[in-house]
Amino acid sequence: MEVRPILSTLFRNKTAPLLIAAQVALTLAIVANSLYIIRERLASAARPSGIDEPNIGWINLSPIGEVADPKTLQDIDLNAIRTIPGVKSAAWVNMMPLTQSGWSSGGMSLKEGDDNSGLGSAHYFSPDSLIDTLGVKLIAGRDFTPDDVFEHDPDQGSALPKSVIITKALAEALKPGETELGKLVGQRLFNAAEQPVTIIGIIERLQTPWSNAGSDGEQSYILPIRYVTGSFQYAVRSEPGQLERVMKEASETLAKLRSDRVLNSQRTFAEIRASRYANELLMAGLLIAVTVFLLLITASGIVGLSSLWVNQRRKQIGVRRALGARRIDVIRYFLVENMLITTGGVLIGLVLTLALNQVLVRQMEVPRLPIEYIGFGMVIMWLLGVASVLGPALRAARVPPAVATRTV
Amino acid sequence: MFFYYLKLGAVNLKRNPIITALMVITLAVGVAAAMTTLTILRGMSGDPIPHKSDRLFYVQIDSGPIGRESASGDPDPQLTYADTMNLWRAAKAPRQTPLMGTSGTISPERKDLAPFLTTGLAVGSDFFTMFDVPMLEGQAWTGAQDKAGADVVVITRALRNRMFGENQSAVGKRLTLSQRELTIVGVLDTWNPLPKFYRLVGSNRYGNHEDYFVPIEYAVRVESGIEGQVSCTSRPDPGFKGFLDSDCTWLQYWVELGRADDRQGYLDYLGAYVDEQKKLDRLPRPINNRVSDVMAWMERQGVIDNDTVVATWLAFAFLGVCLVNTVGLLLAKFSARPGEIGVRRALGASRSEIFSQFLTEAGVIGLVGAGLGIALTIAALAYVRQYAQDIALLTEMDLVMLFATIAISLTAALGAGLLPTWRACQVLPAAQLKSQ
Amino acid sequence: MIRMNKLSKVYRTHMIETHALRGIEIDVQPGEFVAVTGPSGSGKTTFLNIAGLLEEHTGGDYFLDGVNVTGLNDNQRSRLRNEKLGFIFQGFNLIPDLNLFDNVDVPLRYRGFNAAERRRRIEEALAQVGLSARIKHYPSELSGGQQQRVAIARALAGSPKVLLADEPTGNLDTQMARGVMELLEEINARGTTILMVTHDPELAARAARNVHIVDGLVTDFVRREAASLVAVA
Repeated sequence: MEVRPILSTLFRNKTAPLLIAAQVALTLAIVANSLYIIRERLASAARPSGIDEPNIGWINLSPIGEVADPKTLQDIDLNAIRTIPGVKSAAWVNMMPLTQSGWSSGGMSLKEGDDNSGLGSAHYFSPDSLIDTLGVKLIAGRDFTPDDVFEHDPDQGSALPKSVIITKALAEALKPGETELGKLVGQRLFNAAEQPVTIIGIIERLQTPWSNAGSDGEQSYILPIRYVTGSFQYAVRSEPGQLERVMKEASETLAKLRSDRVLNSQRTFAEIRASRYANELLMAGLLIAVTVFLLLITASGIVGLSSLWVNQRRKQIGVRRALGARRIDVIRYFLVENMLITTGGVLIGLVLTLALNQVLVRQMEVPRLPIEYIGFGMVIMWLLGVASVLGPALRAARVPPAVATRTV
Repeated sequence: MFFYYLKLGAVNLKRNPIITALMVITLAVGVAAAMTTLTILRGMSGDPIPHKSDRLFYVQIDSGPIGRESASGDPDPQLTYADTMNLWRAAKAPRQTPLMGTSGTISPERKDLAPFLTTGLAVGSDFFTMFDVPMLEGQAWTGAQDKAGADVVVITRALRNRMFGENQSAVGKRLTLSQRELTIVGVLDTWNPLPKFYRLVGSNRYGNHEDYFVPIEYAVRVESGIEGQVSCTSRPDPGFKGFLDSDCTWLQYWVELGRADDRQGYLDYLGAYVDEQKKLDRLPRPINNRVSDVMAWMERQGVIDNDTVVATWLAFAFLGVCLVNTVGLLLAKFSARPGEIGVRRALGASRSEIFSQFLTEAGVIGLVGAGLGIALTIAALAYVRQYAQDIALLTEMDLVMLFATIAISLTAALGAGLLPTWRACQVLPAAQLKSQ
Repeated sequence: MIRMNKLSKVYRTHMIETHALRGIEIDVQPGEFVAVTGPSGSGKTTFLNIAGLLEEHTGGDYFLDGVNVTGLNDNQRSRLRNEKLGFIFQGFNLIPDLNLFDNVDVPLRYRGFNAAERRRRIEEALAQVGLSARIKHYPSELSGGQQQRVAIARALAGSPKVLLADEPTGNLDTQMARGVMELLEEINARGTTILMVTHDPELAARAARNVHIVDGLVTDFVRREAASLVAVA
């Protein structure tokens, strides 16, 4: 191939090739880093919560004043919800995954006195079966029975639950390296409640209200507690496809029961998920837009400069044709030239990409860019370069050889 | 001469319409990306109360038990009820206020309005002066009402409009809040500082400004619900009294000092306070108090969202690519007319005149790009507003940003125009005429 | 070597037909030195372009070295140009960003010679035009006459059967023009057929055979003595 003469031509006309190379380099740096952040955000937003998402909704009522007998009212509410056709299950629950507000505890440990273990966990509780209502999967041990449930009235004193169900992620954090997590069933867990509680079951997954990245987004446990307050939060699970109607009927039914409460919120889990990940999806969306625009702009820049080049070298192209260059030789010339420039840009871009990533890693706690994203970015830049120069190259190939003998 | 160049520049836009359009769009998109992220970043990191942010201080006391210190060594961001009230009652600073989030159900007298749940703040009466809260009518409650926890409330203009209608005086009227009657003593004018610096813990930092304000002693007296973050190292005794006496932290505390230099004095006072409490078997940890001014507190709380900083970095790199691209396209555009330059030079234009002419032409492109860039920025901010409710308030573009956008586009276009213009000036008059 | 039968060229735009050449009959023998003359717009350049396979003729037949080129496709024509023809242009048409070596190398690359072969031919061709010492120089560092010599070297390097020259001395002063002309005569003396378009009667007079084109038709003068007549016409 005629690489050496092309290179020497490029070295004698540095400006335009340098501009393209600089553009390719910057584009690579941005695109590689953006793609990674986009993928990370989308992956984060796609993590499963562990519950039967399409069929679950959450209703939350606030009392206007004091409620005389909240315990009875909770029962009345739940019975009313459960009799709505299409309701599979309903439960009082202190919080829901992905809602970004809720209860948590620290210092979890299988050992006594290990209060500073640094292991935190989301702290769910319900008098009902969350395994049934949220549809989480039990992988070891058993679910609570009504006998396990204790009553807690914050004005009266603490309940003393004796059992707990933990998530697989919490089990793994409690006993790192344990391959048979089932062995944890029967062990005592400290700092999950007032007194040590016995692990009776392990569920596969139940994300915390904050659903942080990494395993601590899944470190949760459930206590069998009936919480006697004027807080009315119900998880509702419908038969497939009936959630919307069920939610509407449930909130109407609850509103009819008493007039001294305000419907605080009523959301399907899909809505909860959308609101939890709105920022992630927005960021991903903006970055996708930036990436697409960037590629378009860089492509337009290459097309623009290559066209300029072709125009400036019409005579030269004609001479080459006169000297025996076939059309394909002309096209090849421009493709090779572009490849050389793009490769130069990609090599500079490689350094820039790593530098930009270094800044992002150090200042923003963004994870380090995996090598395959750089590779992918490089391939994109080469393809972009070739695709952009193809048009001008084809136009160059149409320059007639007779141009060589024209005097101007 | 400048206007002649301006006219030439405008006329020349129509030449090579595709390249010109590409340049304008490139510039506009780059500027829009940079300005959109910058607007949001500025909203996040700006000084919300510039004239006194160095005299307002957020107070922290390390109150937990020995053995459960945080990994970072920082004290809890909030105070216990006991410490808050001790500091507040001692009133060692010219002004001070505790602060807690709360919520309540408002039952309007109007029958056409259903009861609704809303959020409020329980504070001391100094709050309004300390944070320069503008009053539409009435005023804050008095110091005596502070101590008594009187049944008084200050509401926002928005709440007043909702309850009583626009331009209706509300001072002296009653407000039914969670089935209790309160007297409205003041109405705030619109006040949405961003970030919501006065309440960085346990609340949305870029919006959801509270609807009403009650004396903190009132909130405690009626045991009103707490909205925000509550951290306990041990389970409190039953009942609200048990909660107040517990080591749970749930209150935020601000002081206003006469001068920024008074900070050390206040810190010394806090140290003396902790020593005194140790004698009462409280506050077992070594003295680890913090007194941070507004900007330091926002920094400590990581107010600036990492994503936004990353997006801003990427947006400016993006603008960089757009600029390089514009340089290339201008180069193409200018070098397509060496003949014109040759003729002008031959007709007596000096090199600097050619320079001015072509730079003006680049500037015209910059202006058009700026116009389009502003439109795109507004559109992008509207998009963000729609999809990210919690930062919606940050997406307001003010005059400063508008001028900044114009300045950035122009600088960008002129900067991008320098190299091509310089190259255009290198054209020799004779060389070009000959080959034509 | 070059034989044209009733060769014609018609340029068609959507409304107008321009007859640039109308039925050219010519037969150039191997080793001939032919000067093509004629007033501006007579069709000289069109004739050269067709002879050099830079343009296609629209009527008649053209045999180049025994090959009928009528109807050949672009690739075949490129190949023929590369193997059988050498070009010398009025404006030299060297590629300014390549040094002499690389300039002479251009047609050889399209021929597909290996590196050693190309190097041998380049050095030989440059030696022949007396520019071996300038092999690493760029065209802008040379005088017009030297540039034209490089162009000649480039044309010769591929050992063409026919050398086509388009006003080869048009951009040169008399001194340099003479040198270039002598070089062409030398090349011709070694057996290469030369077809030279020129409007300079003095130059045309030095060719063994003159072809005069007026309004797309050919008048042929074989005798050297006829040169002055051509100039008057």
